[in-house]
Amino acid sequence: MAATNYDVLIIGSGASGGMAAYTLTKKGIKCLMLDAGPPVDVQNNQVSKPAWELPYRGLGNPARLPHVVQANEYNANQWVDEKQVPYTHDPNSPFNWVRVRYVGGKSLFWSRMSFRLSDYEFKAKDYDGFGDNWPISLADLAPYYDQVEPIFRVRGRKEGLKQLPDGNFIEDTTSWSPAVQKFIGEASKRNIAVTKMRSSLGRGQLASSLNLLLPDALATGNLTIIPDAVVRDITVDKNTGRVNGANFLDRHSSREMHAKAKVVVLGASCLESTRILLNSGIANSSGALGHYLHDQFYITQCVQAVMPEVRDKTAPAGYASGGGYIPRFRNLQTKEKDFLRGYAFDFSAGSTPDAKFFPLYGKALDDALEAHRGTGFSGTCMGSVLPRFENHARINKDVTDAWGIPVLHIQARYGSNEFNMAKDAINTMAELCRACGWEVLARHDQPLPPGYSIHEVGTCRMGDSPKTSVLNKWNQSWDIKNLFVVDGSSFVTAGSQNPTMTILSLSMRASEYLAEQMRKNEL
Amino acid sequence: MRRRRFIQALAAAPAAPALLAQQPAPAPAPEAPEAAPLDFSIADEGADPVSKFFSARQFATLKRLCDLLMPAAPGSPGALEARVPEFMDFLIGDAPVQRQQLWLSGLDGLEYQSQTRFRKAFADTDATQADTLLAPLRQPWSFEPPNDPGARLLAAAKQDVRTATFNSFERNMAASGGKRPRGGGGLYWLPVE
Repeated sequence: MAATNYDVLIIGSGASGGMAAYTLTKKGIKCLMLDAGPPVDVQNNQVSKPAWELPYRGLGNPARLPHVVQANEYNANQWVDEKQVPYTHDPNSPFNWVRVRYVGGKSLFWSRMSFRLSDYEFKAKDYDGFGDNWPISLADLAPYYDQVEPIFRVRGRKEGLKQLPDGNFIEDTTSWSPAVQKFIGEASKRNIAVTKMRSSLGRGQLASSLNLLLPDALATGNLTIIPDAVVRDITVDKNTGRVNGANFLDRHSSREMHAKAKVVVLGASCLESTRILLNSGIANSSGALGHYLHDQFYITQCVQAVMPEVRDKTAPAGYASGGGYIPRFRNLQTKEKDFLRGYAFDFSAGSTPDAKFFPLYGKALDDALEAHRGTGFSGTCMGSVLPRFENHARINKDVTDAWGIPVLHIQARYGSNEFNMAKDAINTMAELCRACGWEVLARHDQPLPPGYSIHEVGTCRMGDSPKTSVLNKWNQSWDIKNLFVVDGSSFVTAGSQNPTMTILSLSMRASEYLAEQMRKNEL
Repeated sequence: MRRRRFIQALAAAPAAPALLAQQPAPAPAPEAPEAAPLDFSIADEGADPVSKFFSARQFATLKRLCDLLMPAAPGSPGALEARVPEFMDFLIGDAPVQRQQLWLSGLDGLEYQSQTRFRKAFADTDATQADTLLAPLRQPWSFEPPNDPGARLLAAAKQDVRTATFNSFERNMAASGGKRPRGGGGLYWLPVE
């Protein structure tokens, strides 16, 4: 049986690849999707286990996933095996590249925080002069956010904030607990807005490409999915200079195959898409491919406070519970001296602080923990990272993965803008807690290593000029018009908002454009 | 001869279903009782761990440290009853060199401090003496690991020993009123092939 020549080859099945398939197949376009990982059945791939049944008592195999801070013994099998698919970095400049290789990709496990970018990000250069603007504005992407949010069933509350545009939400009607109301009161005195979390409810257990996008795409009869297909490179027709498919290896047997298509859509995640393009030697006349790598710096538990009014169970039930989100408030109306752009927090009230925060041990520690049950207030800081040319990924030809494919060498560092921003963030959060009368047990102003947020973006950025960007405003390669890159690598600047809603919306927008171009026979 | 019989049997085979169809249906066989589900144990229930990473002296120091960090309470086994020292010997033996070094030098440092200050092994210190040596644990928490290797070990041990005790079979057994604990815990993601 001769292989079909598909209209579109989609590489990757996560949020971006899944949305491309969802959009294109509904328009009657025949798509072939390749994913490097196996299909999963989330119901049956998880079992309930007490920690004492695990080989490492829940502490995890200490040598298995050195870069995945999120890994524990329960979820260790979710992540890409770093021995099978290694990458390199300077030992003094770590990058935590956290990967998932299953059909559905990282959308199987994401935090579900669902935000829009604003024109403070799309037109960031207009506000502070740094870097480049996106070639699109919020008005260009808003119609796609409007469609994506109902698919993912985003719950939120409309707040009318320019820096965190409202969406097409399922209205969040929950109330704030008294402790959080106290916090909001102190924040508002400082012109800091606090919002309800905006989160994708999804359906059933998941808010994933696997259950929200791929089933509809398959139902059209226009999608073929091949799992366990590890793409090595994209192939080019020497006569036309257009891409015509991809070479891939079977994950189990390493058997080499070639898939043909008229158009190639890359949605393999920011750094994997970049790796495939670099290994293919295409789409880089600008020299920007692999550069401008950035993410959001994270500081988890940046401030850990306790609420004395809750100690020894003195507060009424429900006094301290719930959480919220503080969108960016710096460099909006005023300008900070020490840093550009801004940061956000999420916070929660009513947990019990971890034992490590108490300067005690033994029975005294147990007694303190009992007294502080439910007294905790903690925040996580998520800060904008400036996209800089020097932060980049390149191919390391000396190291290959289990399929003989050269790996990435990643070189990324945070600079003074990020470190100064982090200090301001933690000072602000600590001040808010103290203003509430809460005791700050611990504070931390050093960002975790780049990559920790799993929000890496920017390495195939879009732009207005083929001299400085890899893609045009339609996520289309400037160099090869039948090649599209629809994942987070296309970002120009990430802001402090989680990127998934923007990735989904960009992919939908690019796919609609692609479909229209195919209809007009212009690809 | 054998070959001929085999061929005859093959030739007769297609007729067999037709013949069976003319027989009265056999009475349904009585239903076999369901086999009881098999109950498996974990290694800690039926065997003793073999310690091999720490030296005898380091292991003695570790045992004393575990007992101080997570002492037993009525109805609640401590780190020693939960065989945490033996577990830590396994865990750290499997760890990257840097983490191994932290524990090896940290335990040696604790022993040295004890010998220097009290002229006795850390394993033999009384509660007051041991508390003096564990002074770094009374410092406010900092996200930056302490510079002193001994203080770094104590911070790491406080977390690991606590978790290993809470997650032990023995502790969970006690919490279940002495019965073998069942169910509970978190969702474990199985390997996918």
